[in-house]
Amino acid sequence: MELTINGEGYSFELEDNGMPLLWVLRDVFDLTGTKYSCGIGQCGACTVHVDGLTARSCITPASSLEGKKITTIEGADSIVILSALQENWVAIDVPQCGYCQSGQLMSAAALLSKNPSPSEKEIRDGMRGNLCRCGTYTRILEAIKKTAEDLSS
Amino acid sequence: MKRRHFFRISALGSGSLLVSTFIPLACASEEQEATFWDPNFFIRIDSNNLVTFICSKAELGQGTSTGLAMIMADELGADFDKIKVEFADGSKEKYGRLHLQDTGGSNGIRMVWKPLREAIAITREILIKAASIQLGLPVSSLHTSMGYVHSSKDDQSVAFGDLIAVASTLPAPLEVKLKDPEQFQYIGKPIPGRLTQNASKGIVPYSINVKLPNMVYAVIERCPVWGGSLITYTDSAAREVPGVIDIFEITPTVLQQNDYKGGVRPGVAVVATNTWAAMKAKKLLKIEWDLGPNSKFSSSDVHNGLVRFKESNKSVAANFRNAENILKNSSRKLNANYESPHQANACMEPLNAVAYHYGYKVEVWAGTQSPSMTRERISELTGLQETEVTVNNHPAGGGFGRRFFCDFVEEAVLISERVRLPVKLMWTREDTIKTSKYHPYSLDFWEAAIDDEGMPMALGYQGFTSGPSAYRPFPYGLPIAYRTRLSYKNGWLIPRASWRSVLAHPWALGLESFMDELADSAKKDPLKFRLDLLGNAEIVEQKMDPWVGDDLHPEKLKATLEKVADMSNWFVKTDDGLFQGCSSISYNTSYCSMVANLRRGPNGLYVSKMYAVIDCGLAINPSKVKAQVEGSIIWGLTALLKSSITVKDGMVEQKNFDDYLLLRIDETPEIEVEIMDSNDVPTGSGEPAVPGVAPAVLNALFMATGQRVRKIPLDLGSF
Repeated sequence: MELTINGEGYSFELEDNGMPLLWVLRDVFDLTGTKYSCGIGQCGACTVHVDGLTARSCITPASSLEGKKITTIEGADSIVILSALQENWVAIDVPQCGYCQSGQLMSAAALLSKNPSPSEKEIRDGMRGNLCRCGTYTRILEAIKKTAEDLSS
Repeated sequence: MKRRHFFRISALGSGSLLVSTFIPLACASEEQEATFWDPNFFIRIDSNNLVTFICSKAELGQGTSTGLAMIMADELGADFDKIKVEFADGSKEKYGRLHLQDTGGSNGIRMVWKPLREAIAITREILIKAASIQLGLPVSSLHTSMGYVHSSKDDQSVAFGDLIAVASTLPAPLEVKLKDPEQFQYIGKPIPGRLTQNASKGIVPYSINVKLPNMVYAVIERCPVWGGSLITYTDSAAREVPGVIDIFEITPTVLQQNDYKGGVRPGVAVVATNTWAAMKAKKLLKIEWDLGPNSKFSSSDVHNGLVRFKESNKSVAANFRNAENILKNSSRKLNANYESPHQANACMEPLNAVAYHYGYKVEVWAGTQSPSMTRERISELTGLQETEVTVNNHPAGGGFGRRFFCDFVEEAVLISERVRLPVKLMWTREDTIKTSKYHPYSLDFWEAAIDDEGMPMALGYQGFTSGPSAYRPFPYGLPIAYRTRLSYKNGWLIPRASWRSVLAHPWALGLESFMDELADSAKKDPLKFRLDLLGNAEIVEQKMDPWVGDDLHPEKLKATLEKVADMSNWFVKTDDGLFQGCSSISYNTSYCSMVANLRRGPNGLYVSKMYAVIDCGLAINPSKVKAQVEGSIIWGLTALLKSSITVKDGMVEQKNFDDYLLLRIDETPEIEVEIMDSNDVPTGSGEPAVPGVAPAVLNALFMATGQRVRKIPLDLGSF
């Protein structure tokens, strides 16, 4: 099958068509920015973009993505919104353990690309699929608001 | 053993890429040859001027490695932005076990602050002496800053890296002066630090990302009941999964069957060429278990067992007779009991460890809170000397006490011992919820003798946390009797671990709820009632082993409560729709007071805002301290409003984030945190803000409804 990951095209064969994209990214391509946490699409740690839209890579078989364009946190530099979010993630000191943050950032980038100036409620609704056990939610909220402001000016 | 390629890759387009699962990808990076000087266990200075801080404490997201690196940079006069942080391998020879290395009880900064500063001040003075020799200038004219020794008389300066040859020949000074707070350049500033930068790029080196040459991947299907055992299993379907290498039984040693220090369960291990194959095969195993005696018991049996124990065991430790006599002779009493469930830590990075048992030595790579204890346990487990066991510690995706226990590392070692290859043991999320180690269920009984005015004269407490050496510090200055610690006579239904704030959580749920009940009995404002008691209370001695800290100072707790009252406009009631509750907690010489705001919305009552004030001594990094308080509040709200672990027939009933629920961003209230100004010795901030959350919200619930809820979790929306 063929897949584009962070702008680079790959052709490969899968021995197990059921293998989720998450494990192809992590165990094979060594793109470890995308994280395993629940395996059932409940926590968002494995969030990537497929053709610009968020997908839970832990429950998406790689074989279902023939010809698609995958973007992971490692491809952030090519996405203006994602880079802007990363800057504010650092400025506002969002991460604690950091494990869920790749997923948080991928979800936040998709949110802002669809809705460049979300209300607080829209951010909360848009980000509710991403869990954080350390409890960085209030800073995530602040960093997304700030990024929306930065990008609109 | 036959390994199979499951994957072939070649790049389209011009670039060529060939990846195989078995090509070693963790090659050492090319670094320039540099000589180095390592005057003590905290620091290494390279001839190319790189200063490396070797962090003995674990980094779990609590920011300790950033805080300690800031302390080092200030004491040394280094450029913080250029410091590299490494994590120390497990070594009680270097760090002692509990003092400087293993991380728990919010002790990271508290324990290391003094020895780190002393060691680095010595390093600084040696560098200055070396510069004095090299430049021919008097020591008194030299100082350090941004990685250089500077002369105050002229413009001369020399980089640390250029001094190490001379420095390494000099004796350490016998006495050094630590820097004065006004000389601090970093301490006290909100600095994001390297971990935040790396986490924002997704490049924090968690152990789950470790990949070694020839590494294989393993998972374990564990016995669902603690104390059960394996009868037999069938693995024919599992072995059909492409990538599966081997399947075999895991048999814990006696050492591992302790419910607290151990926790390794009997099980069946699957070893494969990739994580997915191992996980898929695990689901296809057919296992017959002997579920053992615990399969006859459920959560309600623990509750009933504790109640029965209480009824038959009321003895009081000798030094609390005064309170007991007041209670006995009082005609008016107030009683209340509080109940909190088992909980799981549910770290976002599931437990995992890489181990390589070479036969004659063992090396492990793991995010562990206890690298020293882990090394000691692996030595005991394998029979190898501790010097043959290397524990490489990695930053962890959350720990919260669970990663203090090293059962998951021991499992990886057991599997690698069998296959003699590097093994990455992965826990699935289901493993971390269903067959892990847990915060224990607890039941706490409080009583008070009340005088004619309705004021308390003495308190009695019997619960999970009392016992001859584990009194929780009681700050309010009233006589208190601690009765025999409750225990569940059937042994532990599920194995125990530490869970953020540990026993302070049930203790505070009872104490801070009961204080409100006492205030109500006395017809006093509950916050004012606490302030009055704290104003008259004396200093309480605190001692633990090892103990670095101070006694309990009620006036410090009072100051945090006064401040949070101001922040939350506690004494200025203007809004009929606002219901407030408070709590005040002392935790290992930190202090935290809180106010919860409740309001009524379309779906019933909800927490609209939380206020917190923490006194953790000198706040090394206010951004991290506030982050810990914010995170603690969300942790506390999750325990109060969302989740619990329940046991039925010995088995945990929850399995993943669809039934063990965590607070989500759309359920998170506004949070406002203030830090008390202090130049006292830094204490801790990772846990002190957890225990007060539940009572503050429950006390606000009483204000809103007149109902006392004494059991958590609860559905606030139903009120």
